[in-house]
Amino acid sequence: MKNRNTIFTFFISFFFCLGINISHAQTPSDAIMMNQRESCLAVIYEHSWFDEYWEGTYLRTNGTIETVKRDMVMPMIAIGVFDQLNLLVAAPYVKTESTEPNGGYFAGAKGFQDLSLALKGQIINKQLNIGTLSLLATVGFSTPMTNYLSDYRPYSIGFGANEFSFRGIAQYKMEKGFYVRGALAYLHRGQTEAERDYYYNNGSYYTAWMDVPSAWNYNAVAGVWLLNNSLKLEANYLGIKSTSGDDVRPYNAAQPTNKVSFDQVGISAQYYLNKPQGIGALAYFSHTINGRNTGKASMFGVGLTYQLKI
Amino acid sequence: MKYKSIIQPFLVGIVFCSMFVFSCEKDLPTQAKYTDYLFSSIDENGGNWKPVLLDSSSQIVIPVPADITSSDYLDELASLKSEASNLSGEQQGAIDYWTNNPILRWNEIALELVAKYNLIPGPNEDGTYTLPNPANPDGPPSFPFSHPPYAVRALAYLGVAQFDGLITAWHYKYTYNRPSPSQTDMTIPAAYVDNGIPSYPSDGAVIAASSRDILSAMFPLEKDYLAERAAEQMSSLKWSGLNVDSDIEAGEIIGKEIAKIALARASSDGMSKAQCPKPVSDSIKAAAFDRFGWQWDNIEVPPRPVGLTPLFSKVKMWCVPNVEVVRPPVPPAPGSAEYEEDIKLLKHYADNMKDEWRAIANFWQDGLGTYTPPGHWNRFCKEYSIKYKLNPLRTARVFAYLNMAMMDGGISCWDAKYYYHYPRPINQIEGFKTIAGTPNFPSYTSGHSVFSAAGAEVMTYMFPEEGSLFRDYALEAAISRVYGGIHWSFDATVGTTQGINVANYTLDVAKSDGAD
Repeated sequence: MKNRNTIFTFFISFFFCLGINISHAQTPSDAIMMNQRESCLAVIYEHSWFDEYWEGTYLRTNGTIETVKRDMVMPMIAIGVFDQLNLLVAAPYVKTESTEPNGGYFAGAKGFQDLSLALKGQIINKQLNIGTLSLLATVGFSTPMTNYLSDYRPYSIGFGANEFSFRGIAQYKMEKGFYVRGALAYLHRGQTEAERDYYYNNGSYYTAWMDVPSAWNYNAVAGVWLLNNSLKLEANYLGIKSTSGDDVRPYNAAQPTNKVSFDQVGISAQYYLNKPQGIGALAYFSHTINGRNTGKASMFGVGLTYQLKI
Repeated sequence: MKYKSIIQPFLVGIVFCSMFVFSCEKDLPTQAKYTDYLFSSIDENGGNWKPVLLDSSSQIVIPVPADITSSDYLDELASLKSEASNLSGEQQGAIDYWTNNPILRWNEIALELVAKYNLIPGPNEDGTYTLPNPANPDGPPSFPFSHPPYAVRALAYLGVAQFDGLITAWHYKYTYNRPSPSQTDMTIPAAYVDNGIPSYPSDGAVIAASSRDILSAMFPLEKDYLAERAAEQMSSLKWSGLNVDSDIEAGEIIGKEIAKIALARASSDGMSKAQCPKPVSDSIKAAAFDRFGWQWDNIEVPPRPVGLTPLFSKVKMWCVPNVEVVRPPVPPAPGSAEYEEDIKLLKHYADNMKDEWRAIANFWQDGLGTYTPPGHWNRFCKEYSIKYKLNPLRTARVFAYLNMAMMDGGISCWDAKYYYHYPRPINQIEGFKTIAGTPNFPSYTSGHSVFSAAGAEVMTYMFPEEGSLFRDYALEAAISRVYGGIHWSFDATVGTTQGINVANYTLDVAKSDGAD
């Protein structure tokens, strides 16, 4: 009975930002760097929904919230500070609500969610046999931009806490255009402030502050470049595993202290126009196949990217 | 060459991040922070106060204590000395936790159990609902569902048993005047500040035994847990040098006996019939429709066949002679000018939701999975008992009257709810959406308003310096439900008056109990 985790928002936010120069894709978890003074602007729209959710590990429905929908529009920018150091910034706007008619008649929520900043550095990029091995690292920080209420599941637009992410990325790309990539990240999450000063988390808490569990984030990708390097196709896996937290209690609302885990698989496509130069388009679809204390969400996204010199 | 330019900002970033990570985390308290304290009064005449359930403070009989020069007593003293002089860290922790006013801890335990069991049963696969069953407490769903009426009743019996038990204890304390162990033997270290209250019988043991037995009946799945807590608390009485074995044994007799008497009342107070079957519920609804031309319906998916405890109104009240004397007037009829005004008001709040309204709605929501509105007032009671350094007897008195008033308030509120069977805003306003969950019972009057007003009146009587604060709280709790979109404004205002009316009956009793 909760939203898809916001870290995924953060994560996906940079996932497809590419310029015409295909060596310069840009995301915190991919292997590609922008050159100094290059910049990539992108806008992504994503729609996700779920009508089943995991209460602990028990998958259930809830007729009173029925299908929970979520729409997101995310402007973002990636900047090549140096050839081997890129800055990434995103500021998503999120809107949630249940489909009509929903028995609970809850108001949804909307607003700007978290401002995220990430620095990505390339550590190794070298020829190895028939391909290129890249190792990269990212540090990221995200913080709520507005005082949206995190303690309003499943409609809250985010978890309402600061997050520091530390990510390592390895990619091996063959000359023929096939590549595989893996990324592992630790997401350190802080506390969120509710508007009530008592809650139950396997015991009483007499405070408005809640610990948002930190999490591990796993990512695996297999992809290929086609059509003379103008079309990229990917299959991907994303895993999130909270390191602590409580389970959603029977037929009770979720709360930010919950132990959230999920596995998602997806596909994506990106296409880069020859003319006008610098424009790209993307589309993706993902589905949650397993989870704990989270919605069994499906989502699709579309976006436009534009790369320019600054 | 270029790597240097990467590594530096990286390091700076990591240091910056770490500073944030380790400086912003707040301490998350799970219990009241207080230590043992000097009581603001010791109430030597507390044994003359009028109990709630007992005929007198000598109704429960305990043995005459052995003289402090007797060998029995000296043996007990020696046993205490050896235990208290060799404490483990865990034992010291228990002393620090329980303090010399363990009522406050037992109230916290009670609230925690309320929050733990305040879970509404969900629908079965076939769309039916199963009710919690005391004959099969494991469920699913587990028993009880500690919704506000259940919770306030549990808290009332807990408070009343503690109060009557301590009046009894005070009676014998000042009848026998047995000095505390540290006074009879100067070498015994007293862990707590000495309030000079006689030690036989142990008030701590009265509290432990009565709380354990009441809460075990209310939360049967927690019996073992509660027994452990009580055993630890009783042991801490010895570890702290406060009581010898015979003090504790006599206290336990009182605690068990008063719990038995309180639970006998509970077993026949009508609560077991409050969640009536569907035909009864339907006839209550039909009667309201015949009388007034409206009715409330549950709109969950799938719909719940019966609202929450339609016959809670029939539960035996503590201080109000009968529920009709505090029944509020008929609410505005749908279509009337006052009703139309309220529709506008509710739409206005929903369409222009301010952060302040939302915060108030959430602060007072005390919904499923929490300690409920009565629990919220018990928390205040705990905090102000600490602030005003009440002794256990005085503390029990505040809790007892607070919870009796709120329980009577709840009974009266439920009477209005099912007598008038008034629909919720969401039943009446097309496309209306709320930020609070709509409960499974009729709208008029608001439970939050009645509970809070009744609670605030008792708290104001007990802590007069804080009266304006408590009354403001009650008004805010009342309006919070209107901001939340789940109550009409007249549910809140009339409910507040209703709560005050109920509390006046409670206070009539309190004022003549001999304590003030």
